[in-house]
Amino acid sequence: MHIPDGFLSPQTYLPAYALCAGLWWVGLRRLRRELDADTLPYLAVLTALSFVLMMLALPLPGGTTVHAAGIALLAVNFGVWMAFLAVSLVLAMQALLFGDGGVTALAVNALAMGLVGSAAARLAWRLLSPLHATAALFVAGWVSVVLPALLVALVLGIQPALAHDTAGRPLFFPFDLAITLPAVLLPHVLVGLGEGVLTWLGTTTLQRLRLRHAT
Amino acid sequence: MIELAGISHRYNGAPALVDIQFSIAAGEKLVLLGANGAGKSTLLKILDGLIHPDTGSYRYKGEPIDPRRLKAPALNRRFRAEVALLFQNPDAMLFNPTVYDEIAFGPRQLGLTDIDARVRHWAGVMGLDNMLDRLPFSLSGGEKQKLALAALLANDPQLLLLDEPAAALDPRSTGWLVDFLADLPCTVLTTTHNLSLAPEFGSRVLVLGEDHRLIHDGPIEAFLADPERLVAANLVHSHRHRHGALEHRHYHLHDWS
Amino acid sequence: MKAEYAWLSLYLATVLLATLVHDPLWLALGLVAVLLLSGRQAPALLRRSLRVILPFNLAVSLGYLLLAHLHAIPPWETLLRINLRVLAITLLTFLFIARVNLFRALAFSPTLTWLLGLAYSQAMSFARAHADFRLALVSRSIVRPRLRDRYRASAAAAAWFMDKGLASARETAQALRARGFFGD
Repeated sequence: MHIPDGFLSPQTYLPAYALCAGLWWVGLRRLRRELDADTLPYLAVLTALSFVLMMLALPLPGGTTVHAAGIALLAVNFGVWMAFLAVSLVLAMQALLFGDGGVTALAVNALAMGLVGSAAARLAWRLLSPLHATAALFVAGWVSVVLPALLVALVLGIQPALAHDTAGRPLFFPFDLAITLPAVLLPHVLVGLGEGVLTWLGTTTLQRLRLRHAT
Repeated sequence: MIELAGISHRYNGAPALVDIQFSIAAGEKLVLLGANGAGKSTLLKILDGLIHPDTGSYRYKGEPIDPRRLKAPALNRRFRAEVALLFQNPDAMLFNPTVYDEIAFGPRQLGLTDIDARVRHWAGVMGLDNMLDRLPFSLSGGEKQKLALAALLANDPQLLLLDEPAAALDPRSTGWLVDFLADLPCTVLTTTHNLSLAPEFGSRVLVLGEDHRLIHDGPIEAFLADPERLVAANLVHSHRHRHGALEHRHYHLHDWS
Repeated sequence: MKAEYAWLSLYLATVLLATLVHDPLWLALGLVAVLLLSGRQAPALLRRSLRVILPFNLAVSLGYLLLAHLHAIPPWETLLRINLRVLAITLLTFLFIARVNLFRALAFSPTLTWLLGLAYSQAMSFARAHADFRLALVSRSIVRPRLRDRYRASAAAAAWFMDKGLASARETAQALRARGFFGD
């Protein structure tokens, strides 16, 4: 789902970086104030954890695989700011240490997946968990995939309008909203179902493990 | 049974194995000795057909083996049934819901008829008979290692590759493992970085040096008699010893496991 | 450390520049310049870059070709522009990774260096373990594993990573406290 380099105009990614930089600063300060000394080690380890969870392939019938993002899992269990910072660090690691992903697109990806994805997941979980715990986790996983996908589709789809040459030809991503919305959103509506199941199973496992580690 | 010739392999540009050559006859008990990072695990993964070496050839019972050739179902089935690798981290091998299912996994895949008897036999040998219903994840490190070994042995392998099997075991279990392996009918290749344990796992010792080359192949005594090669392989060290007023230094090893 | 910081800044400025230039000719010249800078690593870096960008760029390019055909627009300048730009930025990024130690470039912020260093080393050890989990299933499978077994293997790996992650976070926090890292 994340956007690679070279498809976003500076009119898009520079403001996104400005917004993101402010949020990273606020997030780090909040984490330091609200939590105890464990915050930084937890952030580093959760970053590594979400990095490797993204590597785990979920087999599908027929031999293909999908990869989970684990964002709702982080947001539900460790909070929105922790999830946002961990996802940002994973994206930075992938872009600057492995050349996978995008340097210019990093802020947009972090905002879409890390902030919107985890905030939506956390909100859905908070609202629904009094009604049905399992359903709440499932919906949290689903929105954590679908809402960022919607945002990514919007950002990509406005590129031709934002940046084009005098002949009206696109300078960056070449398709408009009429194409990006169905092309990006529809597959993720389905992928989100898998993420929903994983968020439910992952949280159940994680809560059992945390109990074990707490004793 | 096994012939390796001119095997070299690099990981991300750094050499892991350089020009490795040896052969193994059926029924042999061998030890692969080397410092951490010498390439022992890589060599075992090549022998198990999991990694394709950059250069060199590997033949198992005369048949050339590499991950691509193992895509052929008939060869894959025979090779995977006959060759078993115990990973250094046994957690990597355990994924079934119970200890029972873990041991039964291989026999079920083979379509054997005496699955229950096999599971109970190997669980008994490994002292796991009262935990057959437990989740493998919840076992201790040593129990996991024994469970992984039981799961491999339940297929009656002909070649058993063991990666640092003593690392997670207490001294009593290690002693038991040494005796147990000596009595196994199959060919066994055991790796260790522990010089004092090496002779226990077999009389023929292969030593991987820090330059990732095979620097010794033969009886352990000849190798132990050569302190320079021991230091070169990073298997012994020297430091000052104080006995009252007397101070001296000599080569020796410390045993951890 | 100053040198690495300067290289990081120069790299980021060049990437920004590559999104401000739109003439395919200039983008092609920039690509040639990066290839020349890569020296003997050029073929390897080019191969890696092409492999990374191929799936997405191919899909976008073919899609655009179809769109342009439907609307009777000449597609070539746009296609060259988009693909040259993406290739130049990706190649430059791989060159930066090959030549500059990012951790030293970030030395201006000890917290960031520490955080990224710990996350990176933990991620690397997880990645090695992940490879072992995958190989162990191959090694143990005499016939093709059932879908159910592959699910179980993935779930066991995920549970193991979470367990190790929680334990490692706690240990690191204890170690930091023991060293008086949190002075307050």
